[in-house]
Amino acid sequence: MGRYIVRRFLEMLLTLFLIATATFFLLEAVPGDPLSQRADKLPVQSREVMYKRYGLDKPVMERYLITMKNMAKGDFGESFVYAGQTVGGLIHDRLPVSARLGIQQMLLGVTVGLLLGILAAIKRGTIADYTVVAFSVLLISIPHLIFGLMLQKIFAGNLRWFPTIGWPSGDELWFGGWKYTVLPTLTGCFSYIATYARLLKTSMLDVVNQDYVLTAESKGLSRGRIIRKHILRNSFIPVMTQLPMSVAMCITGSFFIESIFAIPGIGQYYVTAVNNQDLSIVLGETVLLALLYIVVLFITDLLYVVVDPRISMPGRKK
Amino acid sequence: MLTPDKFKVIGYTEEEANSICRPTISYWQDAWRRLRKNPVAMASLIILGLLVIMVIIGPNLRGYDYIAMNIPDKNQGASAKYWFGTDNMGRDLFSRIWVGARASLAIALVATMLKLVVGTLYGAAMAHFGGWVDDLLMRIIEVINSLPSLLVTILIMMVLGNNLFAMLVALSITAWCNTARQVRGMIKQLKESEYVYAAEVLGASPMRIILKHYVPNMISILILDASVAIPQFIFTEAGLSFLGIGLKTPAISLGVLISLGQQTMDFYPSQLFYPCVVLCVIVMAFNLLGDGLRNALDPRLRQ
Repeated sequence: MGRYIVRRFLEMLLTLFLIATATFFLLEAVPGDPLSQRADKLPVQSREVMYKRYGLDKPVMERYLITMKNMAKGDFGESFVYAGQTVGGLIHDRLPVSARLGIQQMLLGVTVGLLLGILAAIKRGTIADYTVVAFSVLLISIPHLIFGLMLQKIFAGNLRWFPTIGWPSGDELWFGGWKYTVLPTLTGCFSYIATYARLLKTSMLDVVNQDYVLTAESKGLSRGRIIRKHILRNSFIPVMTQLPMSVAMCITGSFFIESIFAIPGIGQYYVTAVNNQDLSIVLGETVLLALLYIVVLFITDLLYVVVDPRISMPGRKK
Repeated sequence: MLTPDKFKVIGYTEEEANSICRPTISYWQDAWRRLRKNPVAMASLIILGLLVIMVIIGPNLRGYDYIAMNIPDKNQGASAKYWFGTDNMGRDLFSRIWVGARASLAIALVATMLKLVVGTLYGAAMAHFGGWVDDLLMRIIEVINSLPSLLVTILIMMVLGNNLFAMLVALSITAWCNTARQVRGMIKQLKESEYVYAAEVLGASPMRIILKHYVPNMISILILDASVAIPQFIFTEAGLSFLGIGLKTPAISLGVLISLGQQTMDFYPSQLFYPCVVLCVIVMAFNLLGDGLRNALDPRLRQ
């Protein structure tokens, strides 16, 4: 176990280093430099000061080394566009917003999805089953983007039940201000509902035909008990393999939803930074998001072993 | 006592014994037969056919130019003159939607081709060379996959600018990894399988093994891969254009039309409604056809 964790950790560092390097040189290839728009009209002297201030007067390789050194120290750079704004500060302000949106979507979506999946599997071949299947195909085929716009138009625009845009802040950052969060959460949760309902239904139907279910039935166990103790437990494995991806994706933010509802999350800022050609922010955010993504995948990998003892450690030799 | 001369052969010849009375059905004929029995998949196929026709002839159907402005007729709703109404510059939305859908479909199809070609070659190289080449190439895939793919796509768009070429590169740059993995797995599995070994022992040329065994197995994987990828690409393209990172006006795609529609959605919802409906129909038809294809092509799912 210990050796596996250490190996995975070292691999993670290497991957991060490669991502940072690749992103740095990719952004170097962006035509023009981020300061020219502001600095071109200034006198030569001020321009030089400005370039010096952001370190853009040095050659590429030197800047690469400096950037890498700073990142290793935990300093992910400062905005070229908004003076004084750092990536660290941004993450501190905006990550909670994206995280709350993601967590709410997942909790609601996965719960409802699993319930619908169970319903469809138990009531196989009935109206309930067909409704769930049709519903999930429909949900998968309507892009987030259109769902968001539709909900916004109907429930905020026409019916005025909820505010059109915005997000709770201050004391209500993590809890409260629910009326702002209803529509974005609904928009995002539909894809989770569809995915998990389909997944659990397929996997439950696989398990139903297993011999141990027949054994349990012939022992005279009640139907509810068979479903809870035998079918559900065993059919959760595909769900468990899907979950880490969902967790990782939900923390990195929902770009489209944040953009539709003007939610000040990481995703929205990333898009703003890209449109402003704010290279240092883009670089810092990319590396930090990659870090988050990898760490979440890593942790869930470890949790697997705790949840399902049948999964052996990949590093362990038999 | 029974002796062989007491038995007589009646109505039986050597040829008849060996003749095959039912027509042989190849894998593809069988798949097509199964697909035809699936009404949902056939309906999607017909809808897709209609969409393709509309994308080709749609912009010319009403005789309005999709670029020329006609200010007196701006922001109209659906009418006999303008079937889907007009936008804020008086341009016929019906013509614009089909031009946009043409761009979206073309981008998705070309990106899918790129993904399949790159993925297949990469996967085949991994499986063929094995050893350290395989490890190295796999590590590259892992690095690409350790970033959310939307981030990579956005980064590439930023570097290459807002144009069609950039869009294609950005969309396919992360997508091929999945194809490569599947192809690698498939070829590795086939290389070890008994029937390929048997074919080798019987003296089949490498060309025959590739054409008879590798290609048919891989084509079904690739078709399924494409049927998942196309709606995904259409959606991502629309999303990026909506965020202002994809194509920009005057180029139009469904995403551009949706983002233009959103700006006026409070007053003229029809300008948002029609592009959204067309996008949903395209994505849904591809998804349902993909489901049908999976049932028809994947032997493991057959009952």
